[in-house]
Amino acid sequence: METVTQEVPLEHFIVLSTILFSIGVYGVLARRNAVLILMSVELMLNAVSINMVAFAVYTAPTLFTGIIFAVFVITIAAAEVGLALAVILRIFRNRGTANVDEVDALKW
Amino acid sequence: MEIFGFDMGDAWVLPVLPAAAFAVLLLISPWLPRKGDWLAIGVMLVTFALVIAIGKDVADAIGDGGFHGVARNWEWSNIPGFIEIRMGTFVDQITLVMIFCVTFVALLVLIYSTGYMHGDRRYGWFYAIISLFVAAMLTVVLADNLLMLYAGWELVGLCSMLLIGYYNDRQSAAEAAKKAFVTTRVGDVGLLIGIIILFWQTGTFNIQAILHAAESGAIQREWLTAAAVCLFAGACGKSAQFPLHVWLPDAMEGPTPVSALIHAATMVVAGVYLVARMLPLLEAVRGVPELITGIGLFTTFLAAFIGLAQRDIKRVVAYSTLNSLGLMFVALGSGAVGAAMLYLFTHAFFKALLFLAAGSVIHATEEQEVDKLGGLWSKMPITAPVFVIGALAMAGLIPLSGYWAKDEILVGLDHGPLGKGILIMTFISLPVTALYMTRVVLLTFFGEPKDQHAYEHAHESPPNMTVPLLILAVLAVVSGFVVFEGVGKALGFHSGWLGFVYNLAEGPEEYHFVGWITLLSVALVVLGIAAGVGIWGGAAEPARRLAAFSPLTYRLLLNRFYIDELYQLAIKYVVLAAGQAVAVFDRAVVNDSGVNGTGEATNFLGWAGKHAQTGKIPNYALAIVIGVVVIAIVAFGYRT
Repeated sequence: METVTQEVPLEHFIVLSTILFSIGVYGVLARRNAVLILMSVELMLNAVSINMVAFAVYTAPTLFTGIIFAVFVITIAAAEVGLALAVILRIFRNRGTANVDEVDALKW
Repeated sequence: MEIFGFDMGDAWVLPVLPAAAFAVLLLISPWLPRKGDWLAIGVMLVTFALVIAIGKDVADAIGDGGFHGVARNWEWSNIPGFIEIRMGTFVDQITLVMIFCVTFVALLVLIYSTGYMHGDRRYGWFYAIISLFVAAMLTVVLADNLLMLYAGWELVGLCSMLLIGYYNDRQSAAEAAKKAFVTTRVGDVGLLIGIIILFWQTGTFNIQAILHAAESGAIQREWLTAAAVCLFAGACGKSAQFPLHVWLPDAMEGPTPVSALIHAATMVVAGVYLVARMLPLLEAVRGVPELITGIGLFTTFLAAFIGLAQRDIKRVVAYSTLNSLGLMFVALGSGAVGAAMLYLFTHAFFKALLFLAAGSVIHATEEQEVDKLGGLWSKMPITAPVFVIGALAMAGLIPLSGYWAKDEILVGLDHGPLGKGILIMTFISLPVTALYMTRVVLLTFFGEPKDQHAYEHAHESPPNMTVPLLILAVLAVVSGFVVFEGVGKALGFHSGWLGFVYNLAEGPEEYHFVGWITLLSVALVVLGIAAGVGIWGGAAEPARRLAAFSPLTYRLLLNRFYIDELYQLAIKYVVLAAGQAVAVFDRAVVNDSGVNGTGEATNFLGWAGKHAQTGKIPNYALAIVIGVVVIAIVAFGYRT
């Protein structure tokens, strides 16, 4: 662990996390397929986890705060994806499409 | 001296009785036998009896000397340190004259109406409103404070309007009622402003207190002048002086007993009463007595000339009322209170007589225009002579009552503070009055009947109409004799009229006989009558030639100098135009822009805002992202 902390500066992990998060945001905003949007959300969540773990290891290795945070995030992400996929399945069976641009019944 | 313990202090009972009669008749008259006219007449009889009792008490009080009126009042509203208003009655000689005239003429009119209004659809309502009117008029003359006077004043105007519009199936009657009310309203606003100014300056509504304040100079000169003019404006409205005279001739749309009671004997003299009551205040202002006299004189001549050309007998008598009222104001302007009140007293009788006799003619022939009358002398053996008596009294022929009153006015003017010009003008008005009264007598009762149908139909009226006529005729002849001390003493007073009713600033007087005034006035009256007979007697050929001689003048007189049309134009182009402007402002600015505009702006904002709800998830996601970025910048951005 110590070799990584000395060899690789913290900023690299933060930049990685940021890039991953941005890609995820782009995916959420620009994708038309609902499942792909979900994948992008997963990407965002994982980016955040990387960020948390990096900070934990680099700044307070003995506390494990960030690592525990990441564990929670993974759990919640899993549950949320299960729920989301169920909803998407329902919409697909109801509307015949998984394209979020076409699911706009709640408009004015 | 009291009768059954009833004295001047109990005068508050007087308005209460007719008011109670009104309330009862209003509620249950349809179910009473004869619609309850006996109730109204009975109550009026009782009220009149009480007036006699009060009269006895006043006569004795004056006999003791130093009588200045008896007041009795109760607390009505009291906010300590701020305002205290007391309501009550004030009885003195002027009050006594008024309450006598009101109740006596009302009694005769009510009896007369059992014949004239017989079988009418709204018979019970008629008696109810007449009772209310008497109650209101008594309130006006008994009030010891201006607030109560104003309340009664307004109520009197209301009753007048209701009774003018009595024939509510006639458009002209409704218009006349509206005209009467609105015209007197103009005066009433003046009265109210005057009352408010006086209250503001003196802190009280009580008339005697205000008069003392005015005489002692406690009121500032400008406010005193303003108040005096405003009060006189109120009097002009009710007493139909120029320029507020236009309602009185139209008021003839009402039933003739109403004209006799309200527009001859009582309500129109409310203005005269007000001026007489407030005279110390009005005389304290320079120029106001001259104003009163001037307007009175102008009205006198205006009415006399218009009356010369009118074709409706009731209108002629209405204009003669205006004539008389003008003279009363002329007298008051010179401070001749005794003379003015004497004329008021005698005028109540002969004018009511003229109206009721005219009503008798109308009842008999169903016609009002002189174009359809004529030659009725033989057909109406009671009505015709009493009408002639009334006309002669009006003209002022000695020894009828009108002569004594006019004589006193002339004497008062001669001794008065105003110039001799007023005296000369008043002398000139005598033959003109005699002229138009002679004309109406000749055209109605003499000459050839102009409408055979009306002539055939004519008959003498039943006793319940002719007996009041006879009573009033007797009074029209003898009521002038009260100026003599002997007559006064015989009636229980300690002196003649002028020792009883007088200008408080001058003191009681005795009747003197002024030779040249009597001779001149009688000569002028006889001249007027002779000229009338010459012009309108027989076939009335000179009258036709006169009318043809100057058709413009004739048209001017017939159309009442087009004053009504002028007012109508002013209303249309000034009042209604201003109203239109305000209406446009109210509609366009206040309603459309202000009220509706605000609502529509909000509506528009809502409509514009709803387009953000597209229902598309990517749009919402973008909104979230942008929001986060903004928060990040705002919260953390400037902490670099």
